[in-house]
Amino acid sequence: MSQAEARKVRYKMGKLERKNTLVAYSFLAPNFIGFAVFTLVPVICAILLSLFEWNGGDISKLKFVGLDNYATIFATKKVAEKGIAYFFNRADLGIALKNTVYYTVVTVPLTIVCALALALLLNKIRGAVFFRTVFFFPYVSSMVAICVCWSFMLMKDGPINQIIMALGIDFNKGWTADSTMAIWSIILVSVWRNMGYYMVLYLAALQGVPRELMEAATVDGASKWQQFLHVTLPQLKPTTFFVSVMMVISCFKIYDVVAIMTDGGPGRATKMLVTYIYDEAFVKVRYGQASAISMVLLVIVLAVTIIQFSSEKKFSND
Amino acid sequence: MKKMLSVLLAAMMMVSLLAVPALAEGDQVLTVVTWDATTTPYLIAQQEAFEASHPGVKLEFVDVASQDYAVKATTMLEGGDTSDVYMIKEIDNLINWQAQGFAAPLDTADYDMSGFKGTEVNYAVDGVQYAIPFRSDFWVLFYNKDLFDAAGVELPTNDMTWDQYAELAKKMTDKEKGIYGTHYHTWLSAVVNWAVCDGVNTLADKNYDDLLPFYKLYQDLEDNGVCMSYADLKASGLHYSAAFANGNVAMMPMGYWYVSTLIGYNKDGTCNFNWGITAVPHAEGVAAGSSFGNLTGAMINAKSEKKDLAWEFVSWLGGPEGAKATASTGARPAWVSEDVAAVMSSVEGFPADETSKGALLPSAVAMEWPVAEKVADIKTVVNEEHTMIMAREITPEEGIEEMNERVAELFE
Amino acid sequence: METAVHSREIRKDNPTLRRILRTIVWVLLIALAVFTLIPFVWMISSSLKLDREVFAFPMRWIPETFHWENYSLIWQKVPLITYFKNTAFIAIVVTILQTLTSSFAAYAFAKLNFRGRDALFLCYIGTIAVPWQAYMLPQFIMMRSMGLYDTLWAMVVLQAFSAFGVFLMRQFYRSIPTELCEAARLDGLSEYGIWARIMLPLSKAAIATLVIFTFVNTWNDYMGPMIYLTRDINKTVQVGLRRFIQENSSDYHLIMAASLCSLVPVSVVFLCLQRYFIEGIATSGLKG
Repeated sequence: MSQAEARKVRYKMGKLERKNTLVAYSFLAPNFIGFAVFTLVPVICAILLSLFEWNGGDISKLKFVGLDNYATIFATKKVAEKGIAYFFNRADLGIALKNTVYYTVVTVPLTIVCALALALLLNKIRGAVFFRTVFFFPYVSSMVAICVCWSFMLMKDGPINQIIMALGIDFNKGWTADSTMAIWSIILVSVWRNMGYYMVLYLAALQGVPRELMEAATVDGASKWQQFLHVTLPQLKPTTFFVSVMMVISCFKIYDVVAIMTDGGPGRATKMLVTYIYDEAFVKVRYGQASAISMVLLVIVLAVTIIQFSSEKKFSND
Repeated sequence: MKKMLSVLLAAMMMVSLLAVPALAEGDQVLTVVTWDATTTPYLIAQQEAFEASHPGVKLEFVDVASQDYAVKATTMLEGGDTSDVYMIKEIDNLINWQAQGFAAPLDTADYDMSGFKGTEVNYAVDGVQYAIPFRSDFWVLFYNKDLFDAAGVELPTNDMTWDQYAELAKKMTDKEKGIYGTHYHTWLSAVVNWAVCDGVNTLADKNYDDLLPFYKLYQDLEDNGVCMSYADLKASGLHYSAAFANGNVAMMPMGYWYVSTLIGYNKDGTCNFNWGITAVPHAEGVAAGSSFGNLTGAMINAKSEKKDLAWEFVSWLGGPEGAKATASTGARPAWVSEDVAAVMSSVEGFPADETSKGALLPSAVAMEWPVAEKVADIKTVVNEEHTMIMAREITPEEGIEEMNERVAELFE
Repeated sequence: METAVHSREIRKDNPTLRRILRTIVWVLLIALAVFTLIPFVWMISSSLKLDREVFAFPMRWIPETFHWENYSLIWQKVPLITYFKNTAFIAIVVTILQTLTSSFAAYAFAKLNFRGRDALFLCYIGTIAVPWQAYMLPQFIMMRSMGLYDTLWAMVVLQAFSAFGVFLMRQFYRSIPTELCEAARLDGLSEYGIWARIMLPLSKAAIATLVIFTFVNTWNDYMGPMIYLTRDINKTVQVGLRRFIQENSSDYHLIMAASLCSLVPVSVVFLCLQRYFIEGIATSGLKG
């Protein structure tokens, strides 16, 4: 496009801007209205709730406490006395944060690599449908059944430990009763369960990689590995962005697997942010504090997402 | 487009099929929120007995899954539910509901509560009664009579110390035959709650040194293979009901509620050995027959529109008549009296020996957890340290020190 | 044909190496598949045992006696058919609504420029980040005051408008070249036309994905139905399964049998949609 033509197009767009916005809003409306009423409003309530003390009962029992809830969960008094180590080693929020971050940092790359590898393998292989269904099964089955089953398999003298011993590593402790390995049992079950899910996503994305590009690369003499690096991977960027954002969010929100397999134990070795929130909200009935913890979670996740979001915009062609 | 429309129409037709069922005419209906409504024998017995003695009133149970009872019931109340009666699963439920304003105060001025032997105090706040107990479970020792007979070992008695119990368990353990002398469920209550049986210590008294001997006793038994290891039990999810019913466990301290389960197992053939119960062992210096237990009760919803009728039910439920219905299924009602004890021991399937009958009358029952300030937070802390000790991540001494420290912090 | 011959000449040919690699890949795949299937074998085996045999140690992979009656027991003990009907209703309606509204909204986020686009999008993502436990209570109180308590429509309304679908479709739309849309605009097509005639047909795989995910998530949802559905005629499969876990005992053999039955409809949906993942869709409308 020449410079003159480009300027003409931009001018045209300026005039139609209001119409475009209306049209855009009309596309958004069906989803947004439902979303706003049934999800956004309660979420905003929850955000506001973090500034109140509410232990159930009538709305009249809400008491405005400003940032007190945050002071309590961050144990500001104790941290001022005993230093930051206290927060990460003995305060519930610090321990939950530590565990959740550790879990996220390990699970996200592991799952993405497994899912992508599986998708590439199963894209055009013989018997692909069978294998895809097999790997998708874990995501589809009931959480109770999976956790009970895996918990059983990770016992002392169980099949997994027997395989480990057979490989020459001297380890034979029940995973869920060991403070170091308990979180790995959660990681294992999560990766096992989710790799099929993200594999399906990558499979769908791979269908959108233009065949011409692949063929052109082959003609140019690129090896399969180079094809993957320079053609496939860039084409998968939008999907990888989606996968990594969703994975970070769902890792931070992990709850079911932990509640059923280890219940936060032993001790607080697998206490995660959402098990902490659940505890505060439904066992100790301190809704204000539960909301405050959720806000901490939200802030961290949003920060990570914004970083990923801006890097996606930088490298995309839109 | 067309396909989607027809699917939508079909779906909407399905919805109309799910219309509200027709109401019974004439009868007054009392809605009672509870858990496991279709599978709990005493609930069914209570419903039959109440409807029989109160013609014109029907009970409708609202069934909530047992595991999520507290969360769901609280949410229902928070949303303004108008069901008439809510059953109380843990004492904490009532304390919370009362603080939140969901429990209606009960007028007990003309109500005889002598049979509760003082346990109704746990449901009272500032002298006002908010719920009536109708079940009081205490812990007993179950034993597999056939295993003892086969091994030629003397049966447990109603007066054993913990050391005698440990000796007996070691005698009964036979690793070759895969027989365990005893079985401990993973709960804190199964392992160390015995410390409160002396009626002096509680689990909320901020000092946990009294738990030490019990942890040591447990670990000694576990190390010698007398009971299944905590780690294995936790991972495998083996439920105590199945463990004992499998027939390879000689003894098991457990709550009295297990009696009706065992009776059911005997009936349907899941378990086919002779069993009995004795009083739980006692520490030196503590009277024989001391145990701890829990209450189950019922409260009236403050938003109920049938409070008088609800009070008729709740007062009947806890009183001698309701107690007899509860006892007829093998559960232990909160009302203590000769009549009720007679009903309990005459339940079909209840072991016929004198020791078991004797175990029905504990000399003292302490509360598993007392009603105390910040008890929910204390429970969390104590349970966390408990799992660390049981998983052998820390020694009992270290764990108890942690408990003392962390609970003290809660009150700073 | 020409290209294929060309590439064979150009690429360094080493058939033995390739065969070895392929065998390794197959071995790994099969090993991984076995690893993935072990828990299911355990589930099937447990579903044919008695409850106390399920967790007996050492583990028996093949039950002593095959208790086929478990599979008929589950339908008798609890009204499993009602639960399946309810779950199917919710899953189908939510999937249709989600797919429609999400792909509609995603087009705006992906291809249209309007004020507040990025901020609104971040707002969507933000709500996914807030755990449901945090806003469950305000949401419940609001829904109850709308009269939606203990109805299947409550479940529909809660899940049909999630941000997840919008996010997913937006990413797929971003991989469709904008030139296509601009060419269509120049041809005089309205935005709605572009959505219907260009975006939709090109994103069949994405829609299939969204359908699968929404269906599965709705089918397996536990917390929502647990809180909102009380009467037995309204309950879903996941909530119904919990009836096998009672206060003082559990029927794990029945839970396993029922879970396996619950797997069937979802697997059927997945298999039916597989063909959208096999057809390679050439997105090169640029060719002419």
